[in-house]
Amino acid sequence: MRIQRVFKTMAAVAMFSVGISACSSVQQESNLYQELGGESGVAVIVNNFIMTIASDERVIDYFAVSNVQRFREKMVEHICLISDGPCTYTGDTMVDVHTGMDVKEGDFNAIVEDMMEALNESGVAIGTQNRLLARLATFRGEIIYL
Amino acid sequence: MKLRSKYSSLVTLLLLAPVSLASLSVHADGRIKGTGGVSSIGGSGGGGLIPWATLTSHATREEIGASGFISTVDVDDFTLDVAGAAFNFHDRFEISYARQNFTIKANHAKISQDTAGLKYKLAGDLIYGNVPQITLGAEYNSLRDPATAFAVGAEEPDGTDFYISAAKAWIDGIGHRTSMLNVNVRHSESNQYGLLGFGGDDMGSRLHLEAAGAVFLTRSLVAGAEYRHKSDNLGALREDSATDIYIAWLPSKHLSFTAAYVDLGEIAGAPDQTGFYFSIQGAL
Repeated sequence: MRIQRVFKTMAAVAMFSVGISACSSVQQESNLYQELGGESGVAVIVNNFIMTIASDERVIDYFAVSNVQRFREKMVEHICLISDGPCTYTGDTMVDVHTGMDVKEGDFNAIVEDMMEALNESGVAIGTQNRLLARLATFRGEIIYL
Repeated sequence: MKLRSKYSSLVTLLLLAPVSLASLSVHADGRIKGTGGVSSIGGSGGGGLIPWATLTSHATREEIGASGFISTVDVDDFTLDVAGAAFNFHDRFEISYARQNFTIKANHAKISQDTAGLKYKLAGDLIYGNVPQITLGAEYNSLRDPATAFAVGAEEPDGTDFYISAAKAWIDGIGHRTSMLNVNVRHSESNQYGLLGFGGDDMGSRLHLEAAGAVFLTRSLVAGAEYRHKSDNLGALREDSATDIYIAWLPSKHLSFTAAYVDLGEIAGAPDQTGFYFSIQGAL
């Protein structure tokens, strides 16, 4: 119920800001964090992402020793930060996290596909998905073959 | 029926090749869906009318991939039936083969051609980073029935095209849809894709510009267009550049269907050849 209310409020806020930007003469890109649903939206996305990874045999082994709660926390912060949300990332650098894991390019793409699935399940529109995926993709060099 | 017998041996080959390669552990689904493109009429991975810098299938540097396809082009006065296969070794090398059967509708005359292709990825990546995927390619064409080619003034029954190809995709592209641009520069002396041989008495430019664009409307539906510049080498016949607009449906990484409207211009004295292209590709 509460989540629904939050969503309704956010939807109202989103529609209002869309209305504002439609009225303003300057065409401005909407804030990605808001488009992802803000705090609760990103929480849903990260939850779905973790569930998708958990059932993905291609990559699950990389997460075998992960602390799920910590992963969830840092992933939420990370997505919040790169989508221009009001967060600070308190986790380790991408390079530090992935060094020694020898993540292959295929593993990285599997994770990208898992994120696509999570975004779909979270009801995120494809254009918004692509805005986020494009930003996430820039970290590839700090993740694979380390 | 005729089509079936014509292709039966090829289809058998295409069906057997993946099976025999399964023992070499052909397994390629490591790249994002669509990044292998479809199969060009020359057999190499690409669009329909031109190869792209992308290598066929979804193989990564750890994988070996394969694809097989059947395509048909039906324009006002001609049909072109193509079947072929391609292999991708570690997303670095691609080898391909296609058999083209060209039919003149008016008299059911046929011209057949074999095309063997080779691609080598030089640098870059289609999706990631700032360097576009850059690929060198070669296509060797050899006519099985060179009589028509010689009759219209071609100098050779076979020839090799060389091309350099660059492709870049933007995940967040046009209208926030993943979008791709591919540009080729091809060196060729071919007349009508080699179907009318190579060289002539009135050689045009040997350098040809080719381009293709694609937009992923969804993760499984792609729309785009292609342009293939061609030269007019034969004094007796006019040759035009070719264009197409296409839509491709990729229900999985292993299957694609492509339909296109093609404008091939004038072919062997018949002007304004427009029509449709259909292609089915299976990939491992």
